[in-house]
Amino acid sequence: MSEVKLVNIKKVYPVIERNKNKKNVNGHRTGNLQITDEGVVAVQEFSLDIADKEFIVLVGPSGCGKSTTLRMVAGLEEITSGELYIDGEYMNDVAPKDRDIAMVFQNYALYPHMTVYQNMAYSLKIQKASREEIDRKVREAAEILDITDYLDRKPKELSGGQRQRVAIGRAIVRHPKALLMDEPLSNLDAKLRNQMRAEIIKLRERINTTFIYVTHDQTEAMTLGDRIVVMKDGYIQQIATPQEVFDHPSNLFVAGFIGTPQMNFFDAELKLRDGDYWVDVEGASVRLADEKQERLKANHVEEQAVTLGVRPEHLLLADKGIAGKVTVSELMGSSRHLHLTVHGKDVIIIVPSTGGSGNYIGSEVALSFDGSNAHVFSKATEKNLEY
Amino acid sequence: MTIANSSRSRKAKAQLFILRVLAYLFIGILVAMCLFFFVMLLLMSSKSNSQLQGAFSLKWGGHFLENLHNAWNDASTNIPRGMVNSFIVAMSSALITTYFSALTAYGIHVYEFRFKRAIFTFIMAIMMIPAQVSAVGFIQLAYKFGLTNKLWLLILPGMAAPVVFFYMKQYLESVLPLEMVEAARIDGSSEFRIFNEVVLPIMKPAVAVQMIFSFVSSWNNYFMPSLLLTKPEKRTVPIMIAMLRSADYSKFDMGKVFMFILLAILPVMLVYAVLSKSIIKGVTSGSVKG
Ligand SMILES: Nc1ncnc2c1ncn2[C@@H]1O[C@H](COP(=O)(O)OP(=O)(O)O)[C@@H](O)[C@H]1O
Ligand SMILES: [Mg+2]
Repeated sequence: MSEVKLVNIKKVYPVIERNKNKKNVNGHRTGNLQITDEGVVAVQEFSLDIADKEFIVLVGPSGCGKSTTLRMVAGLEEITSGELYIDGEYMNDVAPKDRDIAMVFQNYALYPHMTVYQNMAYSLKIQKASREEIDRKVREAAEILDITDYLDRKPKELSGGQRQRVAIGRAIVRHPKALLMDEPLSNLDAKLRNQMRAEIIKLRERINTTFIYVTHDQTEAMTLGDRIVVMKDGYIQQIATPQEVFDHPSNLFVAGFIGTPQMNFFDAELKLRDGDYWVDVEGASVRLADEKQERLKANHVEEQAVTLGVRPEHLLLADKGIAGKVTVSELMGSSRHLHLTVHGKDVIIIVPSTGGSGNYIGSEVALSFDGSNAHVFSKATEKNLEY
Repeated sequence: MTIANSSRSRKAKAQLFILRVLAYLFIGILVAMCLFFFVMLLLMSSKSNSQLQGAFSLKWGGHFLENLHNAWNDASTNIPRGMVNSFIVAMSSALITTYFSALTAYGIHVYEFRFKRAIFTFIMAIMMIPAQVSAVGFIQLAYKFGLTNKLWLLILPGMAAPVVFFYMKQYLESVLPLEMVEAARIDGSSEFRIFNEVVLPIMKPAVAVQMIFSFVSSWNNYFMPSLLLTKPEKRTVPIMIAMLRSADYSKFDMGKVFMFILLAILPVMLVYAVLSKSIIKGVTSGSVKG
């Protein structure tokens, strides 16, 4: 129940020889992070206003600084520069225990020698809550998470999914101002992950609090977030609702990262004809939709060579258009993924599966798309020209 | 086919059986070798002096209680007093050694600070100095400050035990994910409380192992106590046993001596029996992360 505000947050890890145990959980290496004299810049220019009870998802590839950001909010990591406010209070130098936030870790981090009940009661015990209050709150949280039957068990007697529930229970039991989650579902198998994702959506309705959720999985981000923050190499790429990120990705990276299968990219020309923007690609020519026309006009975009992006589900089989040859056909149940070669490049399209076996492989096809589904990105900056 | 199968499986079964028998035989021999000395000691301590002077026999001597009574009430040595002293010293140093070593290991494992590596190297370097070398200075100091005959002087130096520290650190690295410490911090626990309530319980098996080791080595320690303890009422068990050698030979009661030795190893076995339970428990409940 509170607002969290991050202003121009930056995190620099000093370059010192780390011992093995400090290696990151995922064991990833520093990718394209900026390295200065002070050290590795894991996060920079991070500004974000999180509204009360909002569900924010930080998403990006491994090593982009998501966990670092979350840990700075939690107080587990020092903020190199910038300001952090929770409910308007300056929090940079406040200890984690005084921030009134809770956190769920990827590897659960339950206390192995305590029972589920004791795990959940621990924070309340430290707050010197009365026995009755502890009992009431623990049972209430256990009820929400459906773990009442396991209260007397030790963590090692639970399955992965149950442990994660307990970890969430431990976090919600004291009604924190904000609930931070760092890849809480990554250790679970695919089926359980889908199930728990739905549980988290339900959980959110039952406990009214601010969520900050970290994941590298764009599906989780799209399904859970009110707004999602896409990150790469320590920089924010886009902050928007899932729909907005999907429909208007701010740059090539976001366009490619969000959505599966990945968006297809073509080399194209952006042309002005009679005051309207057209894209010419591989012999096809498509007028952009009105909404896009306005955005481009507002930015005074000039004719130029662009990267055109079209999602697989928006590429249609047509009589004429972009010519390609089918190389692979995957039946996904209700739909079919076709892998094509277009001028030596791989392109994926999704077509409805028509029941019949439909021998696509080797056939020559033509592709078209609608002007409302075309995304044009600058070749120079890789930015979406709409922005 | 079934016949061939069953004959083959019968053969395999027979092989397995022979292997088992051999294994048990081997284990049995090992156990017998370990127990031999204890049984002999028990046997000897049940014999009177004259029985011991005579021919060796495996028969129970029947003077066990008598020997016990004599040993316990021996005026010149005062074994009950010695055992109390030894127990105070051994138990306290076991507790102090393991607790502070674990605390130091935790500090080095979890915190980032300047000169961490240098401090670590320094602690490790202390390990290389033989105890006898530093003992000379230590004893001189003790005499200068008039601190002889103080039991705590035998206990306190245990606080700095590099070997135990190193063991604890290795153990921590394998069992303690840093997220667990962070979870406790977010739960609102103070750093000290995290160590006592979260970390120490996880380290129980390591603590038990090191407590056994330091209890035994402290209980058996003769070198330092013999130099620092001069008053009879401060003597520890090893000193008392050593004194028996210099006792009047004509009054030497060997039965009593064996009883002394039996009494001397009893607490060690007791401590081992109690603590080894948590070692075994620790091994079986090993997985912390899961
Ligand atoms: N304690 C650390 N010391 C030095 N570099 C670190 C540390 N923790 C993380 N990093 C680096 O900072 C970057 C961001 O890490 P992190 O926030 O964990 O990424 P992710 O988005 O995968 O959660 C990574 O490249 C990582 O190597
Ligand atoms: Mg991470």
